[in-house]
Amino acid sequence: MTTLIVIDQPPYGSWAGRDALDMTFSLAAFDQPAAMLFLGAGVNWLCKGQAADAVGQKSVAKNLSAAALFGVEQILVDAQACAQYGLEFDDLLPGSTPSESISETLSQFSRVVFAG
Amino acid sequence: MPQPLSYTLVITGAPWATQAPQTALSFAQALLKAGHRIDRVFLYGDGVHLASALSAPPSDEQHWPRLWSEFLSGNNITAVACIASALRRGIVDKTEQARYELTASNLRAPFEIAGLGEWVEGNLKSNRVLYFHGTH
Repeated sequence: MTTLIVIDQPPYGSWAGRDALDMTFSLAAFDQPAAMLFLGAGVNWLCKGQAADAVGQKSVAKNLSAAALFGVEQILVDAQACAQYGLEFDDLLPGSTPSESISETLSQFSRVVFAG
Repeated sequence: MPQPLSYTLVITGAPWATQAPQTALSFAQALLKAGHRIDRVFLYGDGVHLASALSAPPSDEQHWPRLWSEFLSGNNITAVACIASALRRGIVDKTEQARYELTASNLRAPFEIAGLGEWVEGNLKSNRVLYFHGTH
């Protein structure tokens, strides 16, 4: 049963998303199927060209790039939120799949975990 | 009476900053009263502050770390603070104190410090996993 981890927090204003990413990788490390959904302000996680060192942090995009290696099944992204933040599909990290209907996406998973 | 279920409770909100520990405690008490079982309580992120032995709120306020530890000990429930979250926030047991050569340890019994693997196990074993964030 695949667990969907939802990140709806911006990448550098809150640690909640990083905690959620650690949860995703832990599931994958224990061979439990996991997928991720970036929602609302969380879509900024997927933005290319992040300069995290400017705020003294490690790039979340770099952490996230290990997702495929860990065997995370899908990286879903809220298409409507991308439009709100002015992000075109080409602006997003490779491997992201746009979701047009969040309610439909959520209904496909029986285990859903929101970042705190 | 409905079929008893087993639960893992995850607390990510800190005491006195969010209502998460309080809501989770009321829920946990109600679960046992209804005949359900709690496999494990997992503290994550700011939730690890609940495992501090050094919290000293004013005497006319509820002492959430103490109330939680009494509930856990009284009902033989395992409670784990995530090691990565705990170390960042200065919640350490004697082992971690020695490892990082720190001046003190402050983990409140019966809490233990362990990794996210405990949370993964909760996902596998428990019928339900519930999250108490305090924000959403």
